[in-house]
Amino acid sequence: MVSHGKFARFALAVLTLSALALGVAEPAAAQAKIGVLMPLSGKGASYGAHQQVAVKMFQDKGGALTLVIYDTRGENTDAINLTRKLIGSDHVVAIVGPLFSGESEVTFPVAVQGKTPIITPTSAKPGIAAANRPWAFRNALTSDKLDGALVEKWLAANPSVKKVVILVDTKDAVSKSDGSIVLPAALKERGVTVIDSISFQTGDIDYSAQVTKAKSLNPDGLVVAALYNEGANVVRELRKQGLAQPIVAGLGIMDPRFIELAGPAAEGVMTVNDFWTDNPDPAVARWVAEYKQRSPTPPSNAAALMYDTLDIVRACVEKSGVSGKPDDLEKDRERMRDCLSRVKDYKAPVTGSTTFNADGDALRQPVVLVVRKGKFESVR
Amino acid sequence: MLLQQLVNGLMLGSTYSLIAIGYALIFGVLGLVHLAHGEVFMMGALIGLQIVLWLHAGPAVALVGALLGTAALGVVIELTAFRPIRARNGPIFAPMVSTIGVGLILQEVATKAFGGEQVGFPHRLEPVTWRLGPVTISSVQVLILGTALVLMLALHLWVTRTRMGMAMRASAESTLTARLLGISTDRVILVTFAVASALAGAAGVLVGLSFNAISPFMGIDMGVKGLAIMLLGGLGNIYGAMVGGLLLGAIEVLSVAYLASSYRDAFVFAVMILILLFRPQGLFGVGQVR
Repeated sequence: MVSHGKFARFALAVLTLSALALGVAEPAAAQAKIGVLMPLSGKGASYGAHQQVAVKMFQDKGGALTLVIYDTRGENTDAINLTRKLIGSDHVVAIVGPLFSGESEVTFPVAVQGKTPIITPTSAKPGIAAANRPWAFRNALTSDKLDGALVEKWLAANPSVKKVVILVDTKDAVSKSDGSIVLPAALKERGVTVIDSISFQTGDIDYSAQVTKAKSLNPDGLVVAALYNEGANVVRELRKQGLAQPIVAGLGIMDPRFIELAGPAAEGVMTVNDFWTDNPDPAVARWVAEYKQRSPTPPSNAAALMYDTLDIVRACVEKSGVSGKPDDLEKDRERMRDCLSRVKDYKAPVTGSTTFNADGDALRQPVVLVVRKGKFESVR
Repeated sequence: MLLQQLVNGLMLGSTYSLIAIGYALIFGVLGLVHLAHGEVFMMGALIGLQIVLWLHAGPAVALVGALLGTAALGVVIELTAFRPIRARNGPIFAPMVSTIGVGLILQEVATKAFGGEQVGFPHRLEPVTWRLGPVTISSVQVLILGTALVLMLALHLWVTRTRMGMAMRASAESTLTARLLGISTDRVILVTFAVASALAGAAGVLVGLSFNAISPFMGIDMGVKGLAIMLLGGLGNIYGAMVGGLLLGAIEVLSVAYLASSYRDAFVFAVMILILLFRPQGLFGVGQVR
């Protein structure tokens, strides 16, 4: 028995030594854990599926990060709980996500409280990162940086538009802010009157009443602020009831599923974003081609931004001297925060030159897009 | 605009009616609420969609396929979730709880099999639209209204003119007496489930065709609304369910048109509570329920 005990102790010592040796050999980047939050089911599962492909692609291409991935189902409560879990029990040095503005609005304060940097790849409602300095960031253009350019080009293409009706999803945070604040402001600035704003909610299926009401107001143009599912069915119902007016839509519809669901009704709809699939830029085209080998559907901006956000985080883990040791957790989180706040003209692999401003929001060149022959095309 | 809104309400309401009738049939015979009925409706939509996608069939074939498919599903639900509990004299709420389980299982199975995404029928089924003066009507809307009316008429004839229908009404009156009179109540219950489920399946295809929003979760809201309409029409009264569905569809659409549109469901349910305050037995209910 005694010899057995000795052997066991010896074996343990060897194991510990080899573990230590491995630990030293492994780069710090691989030890520091990064949390990822995305909606893999429920509302916005399509966005989440795209992001998942992007994460896989990033890992396969040697993105040496240890990721802890959770599904928020697009629900605020899940997002909060999972953020607490990532900070408190998974001890991540930074969090990438969540996707929706609604989720970001409620999780950012949790991250601030837990002194952990959090960076959403996508949330676009203005002011959310600014309200949670210095820990919150986003790699997305807020909609107030996008909608001016969008309305400008839309009116240039449709000079007859003088009065519009807005159809807005008041349950989704970014659509609500887009449809009731940002887009109306951008329209008013350019002399367009908003006759009425008609609301619906995420998850509604019947839009006939809203569309009939819009039709009776006889506008020259239509504005849709919604996510892709609802947006597609609103546009479809508009065309079905014979409204042929030009349509402009907030960035929430930017997903290949929008065109798939709306079908021919999507033709001519204008929107805005910082990524689009058919961008002729060789780096983007190469990335898109590679993405398409892994997924039956072409990438959306949610995928592109996830990929770029992971790349920015990787660069920060490598450059900022993150040690990855449990004792250094607090310091590591501060290092990550400082590194993220200094991102300037960073060459992101897909969306290009990226800078984070003092509010923690990304600055980039937006692209106005129009649906032609079942594809998003850039409007020059 | 009012005319077009009424048409919109009629379309929405006729699908509500089909779902509510199913609840009413089952409640009438068993005195029980079938809480997986919304999921049967969802399965109808998914079966219809798969038929269109795989067989490249038209909406009529999808409709018939969904009718048959959900009828079979209804039979399976009765045999697995209701009958064994009834046979063992379980408490009155036990079958209800077991149908909640069935509903969740159906949702999960549908999510695993078809994904949690919202999908629509292919665009080749895109409706033709006609303009009649101020009103726009599409071929899908004609199909919905036609199917709903035909199914309701068929149900009425079946209940009133056939021996099986008569046996069903007798069982609804009193299962015990019906059994004493030599009616096989187990068979009646089975047929009732098949018919009720088939109507829900048809409603699933019709909703899928008109609203383009098929998902494993589409049955949740519809199930609750169908149940409420059954209550509004008078527990277990199929004609009450028909009228109640149309009424609720119209109220819902008009509330969107003339009141705040994001409160449509809240408004609909508020109206329902109001009606029940004045007529607790429902619009067409008679006196006390057993």
